[in-house]
Amino acid sequence: MSGNDINRRDFLKFMGLGGVGAATLTGCDMPTTVTLEEGKEKVVSYLAPEEYVIPGIGVWYASTCQQCPSGCSIHGRVREGRVLKVEGNPESSMNGTGLCQMAHAGLQGHYNPDRLSKPLVRKGDKLTEASWEEAWALVEEKLGARTAWLTGTISGHQAVLLDDLKKTLGSNKSYAYEAINNGVGEALNKAVLGEATPRYRFDKAQSVLSFGADFLGTWVSPVHFTKEYAQKFRTGERGVLMVVEPKMTMTGANADFWVPARPGTEGALALGIANVLLHKHQVDGRVLPKAALDVIAKYSLAKTTDVTGVRSEAIVKMANYLRNNSPSIILSGPSAHEHANGSQNAAAAMLLNILLGNVGKTIESSGEMPVKDIAARPASSKAIVDFVADVGRGDIDAVVITGTNPVFTAPKALGVEDKLSQVPFKVALSMFIDETSALADVVLPLASSYEDWGTSVAAYQPHDKVIGVQQPLMQPLYKETKGLGDVLLSLLKSKGVDGYAGFDDYYAYLRKAFSDMPASVKQGKSDKAFWSAALQSGLINVGAASGSIKAKAPKVQAVGYEANSDYPFHLVPSARQGLWDGRHANIPWMQEAPDQVSKVFWDSWAEIHPKTANALGVKEGDFIRIESDQGVIETQVYIFKGVHPDVVAVPMGQGHENYGRYATGVGVNPLKILSPTTDESTGELANHATRVRVAKTGAKAPFPRLGGSEQQAGRLLVGTVTADVFRKTEGGDHVA
Amino acid sequence: MLVSDYINSRQRRVGRASIKRSLAALFALMIGLGGMMSVSSVHAEVPNAVPPKGDHQGEDVPQPIEFPHDIHADINGINCMYCHTYARRSKVAGIPPTSKCMGCHSVIATDKPRIQKLTEYWENKESPQWNKVHDVPDFVHFTHEKHLQRFVFNNEGMDVDNVSEVCAFCHGDVKKMTVAHKVKPLNMGFCVRCHEANEGPSDCWKCHK
Repeated sequence: MSGNDINRRDFLKFMGLGGVGAATLTGCDMPTTVTLEEGKEKVVSYLAPEEYVIPGIGVWYASTCQQCPSGCSIHGRVREGRVLKVEGNPESSMNGTGLCQMAHAGLQGHYNPDRLSKPLVRKGDKLTEASWEEAWALVEEKLGARTAWLTGTISGHQAVLLDDLKKTLGSNKSYAYEAINNGVGEALNKAVLGEATPRYRFDKAQSVLSFGADFLGTWVSPVHFTKEYAQKFRTGERGVLMVVEPKMTMTGANADFWVPARPGTEGALALGIANVLLHKHQVDGRVLPKAALDVIAKYSLAKTTDVTGVRSEAIVKMANYLRNNSPSIILSGPSAHEHANGSQNAAAAMLLNILLGNVGKTIESSGEMPVKDIAARPASSKAIVDFVADVGRGDIDAVVITGTNPVFTAPKALGVEDKLSQVPFKVALSMFIDETSALADVVLPLASSYEDWGTSVAAYQPHDKVIGVQQPLMQPLYKETKGLGDVLLSLLKSKGVDGYAGFDDYYAYLRKAFSDMPASVKQGKSDKAFWSAALQSGLINVGAASGSIKAKAPKVQAVGYEANSDYPFHLVPSARQGLWDGRHANIPWMQEAPDQVSKVFWDSWAEIHPKTANALGVKEGDFIRIESDQGVIETQVYIFKGVHPDVVAVPMGQGHENYGRYATGVGVNPLKILSPTTDESTGELANHATRVRVAKTGAKAPFPRLGGSEQQAGRLLVGTVTADVFRKTEGGDHVA
Repeated sequence: MLVSDYINSRQRRVGRASIKRSLAALFALMIGLGGMMSVSSVHAEVPNAVPPKGDHQGEDVPQPIEFPHDIHADINGINCMYCHTYARRSKVAGIPPTSKCMGCHSVIATDKPRIQKLTEYWENKESPQWNKVHDVPDFVHFTHEKHLQRFVFNNEGMDVDNVSEVCAFCHGDVKKMTVAHKVKPLNMGFCVRCHEANEGPSDCWKCHK
């Protein structure tokens, strides 16, 4: 429509003329406004097309989503050699046809104009473009026995290659770090149930009590849980969902009963509920060891209320719901885990599962992965703590960083940036320049997940054990990018490791790896048929989950609460479904999509309770200053009842300083001011344990929020009737 | 289809005033046809169709190779869909792949400069970058397939050999052109009038989706 010189006024004139005359379509006949100029665009034919290729008609190929570690299976629509859309793979027991918004927006990462297309090598202060040969020569030379691997979640055959490479180099240092993780939960499950990630049967549960596990938004496998939850809890026979959390998440917003407890006291609340179940409901306590019963006995209603700040009626109500809607599932997640006593909170929640007999009913064994070397390897936040300690000891001469951005996602107090500067040689394998890769000496441009081969095994397997197959949906956009598998393979080859010389590329390696899979997995298929079937469905089903699960009651300790008069508020760096740990902040769709609860977009905000807002004298959109012992951030407030009055919630993901044109300079990063506390038992980062003080700054600005009001203002958007009227109609049994 | 059937079907579709107009047009056309029977360039009739009206003075669009549509489609009588092979199956008609050109031109007319240029492209494993002549804006979803289904394949009495008459509705008489010229406006008025006359869908979202 370039070169179009009609303006609105002329357009209206034309429309007016059309209205006066007999013809009604005059406005549609203006050639310069509704047609394109001739000869301005190019059209290029195929040189020699594949037989099945028809321009204008999409072909769907199966692959695996890599936008978060859940490992959903996808179908990608490919047209004229470009991937245009992804949808859920109907064959997948994980997500079926469903996907989350991050999966749908993944293409904007792939086609992002900030993608790296050439290797970068540090010359002086600056990273400058270099040939692949030059960059690679440096990498080959510098990687040796004292090389560390700092990664995000790596699974499947890439993990196998990494293992072999570490063995060859004589290095045992790898750190799989995810800021959004379930490290505390996994450690507890392993100790109590014998496996880190059991299956949760929402379809069998009558009630769910979640202590901060946002299973409909960001916890473990949210698309699968959403599917199962919606089928069971929101159609037909309705279950009861209770959520205890400091700031309302997607799961909290869907709850039948939402309870804010003082952050870090979730364990005390669980013990209080156990106390009510034992004494009021006479639940048989013999399934628990005496030590546990003794701790529970301390949590009378009064004491529980005193510690948690939750009204005694609410505690009794939750116990009643659990008793009357059995079996149940008790979950615990980040806002309960990421405290100094996080493992205690998780243990207390698990104790409820044991007391209510849920283990074996709604919490089942997920069985063993028959192909052992590619079993899931969940990442944790302890990894970054270990990395920092190891660098501090001077154990590391070189580091390869991929799939993680710790300079942005780790608490600033850990000093990741400083520690990285002490490592003599740093290689980043990345699609983008971000806060971490900007510090590297060599940056190798990575292919996107839609251009690369791979296999991935999800930590959470809902039904049968499945290997997700990732196949390229299109040719690489940039010739000089490489997949992680190819980089690892090239390193193995250049180190002369036995058995790898014969593979031209990672694809060839995967073909061989698939041929070598056990007969039970191949189910009598020939190598070729097995490979084709895997590509066609995008999944390899390696057998039904089996095995039994038995609980060994965890040790629990008393959970208390200490007020802090210097820093009276708790900072909750909530996970935002969309931006995740900040990795998707460079996707414009994810910036544009409003947060599900606050409806804010393209910015950060601090969620505070109306009582807190009154005390501070702030209105929506006013700036507040949030100060911890580690630093200060300033952002606008969103006033909302779904926050504990002692909590300031600032979602993570924004506040990038160096992450391309869409993310840089947008919002603030709450992770910068976190205290470097860890969970006492597992060493995982306690990101919810930071205390802050809050003050009004006096600044105001327009607040980027969709839907300006929480009130109906008499518009009857949602019709309501009083309880009395309801009882007299369909809600009651005594019709007037 | 008989003329009376045609008129009956038209009566069902349009008001009286336009019936008179279309009758007049039909008779004029029949007389014209009769008079021109002996001329080779006579246009075959597309049954059950009212061709769209409207003209456009297209610009000369230079192309990397001055492809002569007239030699292919008129003199040698090659069906449009032989080269634009995707038109019947897809929203786009498709520019023929270079391999298709070379299928014939590795032996035919190899001494001609245009063919030599084509061969050069082929040997360099490149396709010519043609300049687009016919285009609609991105917010318009036009599909060749549905139009060919309606006017050719699901059109009783239509001979597939005459498909160029249907193509000509929107592309003009390409058979008489060398490189294509835009001779129809291809704007919304042009589309909508044709949809009205031929009882095409009139929902906004049929095209704007």
